[in-house]
Amino acid sequence: MTTLTPTPGDTTVRRPGPPSATAERRPPRQGGTVLAVPALIWYLVFMVGPMVAIFVVAALHWPGMLQPVSFAGLGNVRTVMDDPVFWDAVRNTAVQLAVALPIMIVCAYMLGYYVAQKPPGHRVIRYLLFIPGLISTPAKAMVFYAALSPDGLANGALESVGLGSLTDAWLASPSTALACLIALDVWAGIGFTAVLFAARLGSVPDELGEAAQLDGAGHWRTMWLIHFPVIRDYVGVVTMLQFLWTLFGSAQHVLLLTQGGPGSSSTTLSFLVYQKAFIAADLGYSQTVGVILFLAGLVGLLTIRRAFRQNY
Amino acid sequence: MKLGKRWLPAHILVWSYAVLLIVPLYYFLASAFKTNDEIFAHPFALPTSFGFGNFRTAFDSADLGLAVVNSTLVTVLALVLTLGLALPAAFALARSTGRLAPVMEKVFSLGFLVPTFAALFPTFLLAAATGLFHTRTFMVLFLPATAMPLSVVILVQFMRTIPKEMEEAARMDGASTFAVLRHVYIPMCMPGIATVLLLNFLTFWNEYLYSLVIIGPDPAQRTVQVALPTLKSITGTDYGVLTAGTVLTLVPVWVVYTVLQKRMQQALVSGAVKM
Repeated sequence: MTTLTPTPGDTTVRRPGPPSATAERRPPRQGGTVLAVPALIWYLVFMVGPMVAIFVVAALHWPGMLQPVSFAGLGNVRTVMDDPVFWDAVRNTAVQLAVALPIMIVCAYMLGYYVAQKPPGHRVIRYLLFIPGLISTPAKAMVFYAALSPDGLANGALESVGLGSLTDAWLASPSTALACLIALDVWAGIGFTAVLFAARLGSVPDELGEAAQLDGAGHWRTMWLIHFPVIRDYVGVVTMLQFLWTLFGSAQHVLLLTQGGPGSSSTTLSFLVYQKAFIAADLGYSQTVGVILFLAGLVGLLTIRRAFRQNY
Repeated sequence: MKLGKRWLPAHILVWSYAVLLIVPLYYFLASAFKTNDEIFAHPFALPTSFGFGNFRTAFDSADLGLAVVNSTLVTVLALVLTLGLALPAAFALARSTGRLAPVMEKVFSLGFLVPTFAALFPTFLLAAATGLFHTRTFMVLFLPATAMPLSVVILVQFMRTIPKEMEEAARMDGASTFAVLRHVYIPMCMPGIATVLLLNFLTFWNEYLYSLVIIGPDPAQRTVQVALPTLKSITGTDYGVLTAGTVLTLVPVWVVYTVLQKRMQQALVSGAVKM
């Protein structure tokens, strides 16, 4: 609809005619958008301001809170690119997204479909599924800390069933630290996302599924070939949200559980931003990674949006 | 729709996941009443006594009482401020016919793209520059801004469903813009306001990262979410105390969830749709 060529329809609309009765009755809109100004200012100061500052600080050489600041241009980008820890973080983040997102979305969709069919006990299930969505990040981390520390729940369970040889210091071992963090994301994410899907599936008319079943389609086919296309764009929205949460936010678990270690085996990009700013005090580096994170978020968002575009 | 025998695997899978969700919580609740030795010896046994010793220790050693007061203060004040800002804004954007309004709405919804961890340092600079570093006051001012995108977007959607005739009738009776907002829009938008309140209550109460850096470790100012992880080091990992502390921070959210279960789920669902 971006074409500027006038169409016949246009002329009829633009022709000045006698003012219609409805147009005359419409009262003047005094007050207008002025009322939105306080909220906008608030939002600009506390959110857009810091957002812009990320880009500014990224171009500065700022080796510590009280150190002199100098202009670095793209120097920080070079430092970041030459740092093997950065590439570890990129790899870890990529693994995290590539593993957690598909598992979460697929399982949550199936679980949501299950709940939406109202099987026996679905109210209880729905209540329980929501639990991880209520628990704060530190509380979730405490749950996993209690479960995975050397004398915690997981090892205790393994020993009691005679698999003592499989016990491990899950959070302190380079080969399992990242996996634990992904498990935490998936554990907490599936239930919550399933509730979202169940709610959306609940508004799909029953006749649609029934018709498919009359035609001989099983639940499996109804789920993926009938219902999925209907709520496809909603799946896209939820995927975008989970993508952003995982990319930007789940590093709080890293902070609380592994501190990025051992070595850099569980350092993710967003944790690197925090670590460089508040532990290593290399502010230019930190914010450069922040800019990269923002760009990754933007690109990912657009990609997901394209992939889930409604196409029927 | 009929659920046949072939649903057995599905039932089993779903209920196993439910167990995975309950077991840690049961373990937490049970451990809150046990000593470390009991927890290691019988992790799944019911507690033998229901003394509140662990809760008291958690309360005393991490100053949780004060932390709960701080969290409540920050959450309530931030919620009030959020509504105070978002309601007039949504009202203006929903009824405006100008060209500016859609642009403003777009600007608000871009807020979802701000990477939290990266924006933390500039926010810290802002707190330092305003002289509000290490205070709850900054969080009270800051949290509503982070809630603005979602709150405004949701409230605008709700306010658009109010018929124009309602406002016109009120205008005929000589109502001012504020009177229209107060007596027409706000009463009719109660479901939307409840949605925004619940969503923001959850995020404000559970906020951790910014509270950690901005308010800092001072026991007089810090919130429960910041106080909670310190239990790990203070008590040398006394699981009983640790779990008791965690249970305490969950209580307010739990009460709200159990009472307003349906409402809460609707709130989160509509939150996700509008994003």
